[in-house]
Amino acid sequence: MRQTGKMAASVLGWALRAARQIFPLPCRGQVRGYYVDWRMLRDVKRRKMAYEYADERLRINALRKNNILPKELQEIADKEIAALPRDSCPVRIRNRCVLTSRPRGVKRRWRLSRIVFRHLADHSQMSGIQRAMW
Amino acid sequence: MWSRVSAVGSRRSGACRCRLLSYPWGAQDRGPGSKTQKCFSTSTGFYNKEDESATSTDSSGEKASENQEKATPGNAKKNLLNIISEMKVELSSKKTFQILKTLKTKEQTKDQPESMESASSMFQKATADSKAKRSKPLNPELVEAASAVASSLPFDRKQTVSDLLAQLRKHEEATDAQKKGETTNISNVIADMKIGKRRLTRGVSRPSSQISFDDDDGQGDMFQTGVLSEFAGSKRRGLHLGRRLNIFPVSPTVTEGTPEAESSPSLWDLELANQIAAVNQKPPRNGFEEMIQWTKEGKLWEFPINNEAGIEDDVEFHEHIFLDKYLEDFPKQGPIRHFMELVTCGLSKNPYLSVKQKAEHIEWFRDYFQEKEELLKEIDDHEKETDISLEKKSLSK
Repeated sequence: MRQTGKMAASVLGWALRAARQIFPLPCRGQVRGYYVDWRMLRDVKRRKMAYEYADERLRINALRKNNILPKELQEIADKEIAALPRDSCPVRIRNRCVLTSRPRGVKRRWRLSRIVFRHLADHSQMSGIQRAMW
Repeated sequence: MWSRVSAVGSRRSGACRCRLLSYPWGAQDRGPGSKTQKCFSTSTGFYNKEDESATSTDSSGEKASENQEKATPGNAKKNLLNIISEMKVELSSKKTFQILKTLKTKEQTKDQPESMESASSMFQKATADSKAKRSKPLNPELVEAASAVASSLPFDRKQTVSDLLAQLRKHEEATDAQKKGETTNISNVIADMKIGKRRLTRGVSRPSSQISFDDDDGQGDMFQTGVLSEFAGSKRRGLHLGRRLNIFPVSPTVTEGTPEAESSPSLWDLELANQIAAVNQKPPRNGFEEMIQWTKEGKLWEFPINNEAGIEDDVEFHEHIFLDKYLEDFPKQGPIRHFMELVTCGLSKNPYLSVKQKAEHIEWFRDYFQEKEELLKEIDDHEKETDISLEKKSLSK
């Protein structure tokens, strides 16, 4: 699961209201935490669900994607997998920027959008990153 | 030890024994054999006890053998008293003056250092010999030796005996304490020592350190390091040393509250615990401590690197690979078996799953196929029908 759910206090000005840490304790009652925006929240939910249903999807797909079993069985498996909740499929997960929730221009290694990455790198807060010059 | 004694003794024997002999008797014979005999003759006490071994001490050449003989544990008593006579000259003048002070005897002429030497040598050998037989009451041999020495000295016999025995007891106690490894002697000594004026300044500075301790965690410890902590420790000990006065009634400890708290640790309790833990933690002083902290948190791997750090697989490799035992419930023929064999082949090659997870996969498939049994039967029948019909068609053609 790529999503961390925890956000470090953002350095950037426009992300000062960055998501706070979700309280790790399993306490009863309301727990409030903030993600950057609702889209990020939905992405988080999708990731959680995909994690839950990962094994089942794998097994049903194994039934579907072979030519040994009879086709009837495979058709039934098709129907079964379609019946699973829509958010359980990993295809719906979008690798958003962790700090700004930007859906595009996100470098996978750092999980940051290009703008944030550039900002941090220029302030020498990215370890091992240097301005390229050759 | 014995050999060293004899070597040293022989070198210095000349000077001291001359003195010994010169004072009362004035004989200046330097023959080794005659010396020893004369040494025996000077102290009546010694001579009485060394009657048995006197005959064997004719020459210095026999001294070494004598020593070796006496080193045997059987002749402990004889060892003690014989070596007293031979050990007289080992000591330096420094020790003699020390012994003068301890015994608190009047300063006398040359005779005194010699007799003192014998006493001190007796102390030395007594402690050395009696180490093997350590008993709380003084060794009777030591008592005898003390009485012998006292008799040889020209002072009040009883007084000297009591003084010598007191000295012996002190020595024994010291060696006993050191043997047990008591290290509180130094602290006791320091506690007894007077500090006087300096105490005030230290007392004044302590409240300030207490105040600042809460705020400044990094430096709060600095105040307590060094001598202060030692003093604090001794003070605590001093508080609880005395007997109880029984002024206040001792209430029975309340244990009802604790199980209630444990059942549901509230948020506040957890926060308090976290706060306490954070207070006790000091910021790392250097890079090494920082790395240690990270390793404890889990941010840094442990070196040398353990490849199986997160994985605690106690299972052998054959249980990962040979998964046929899980395939017993499946039909032995047909496409399902074929399919399951492929599944097991794939799982056996998977290094990322635990055996439990692999077994769960296979179980799920078994359950799934059991649910679909009817369907499968229908499918089989239908297939058979189609096959039969195809054969018929082919046959008819």
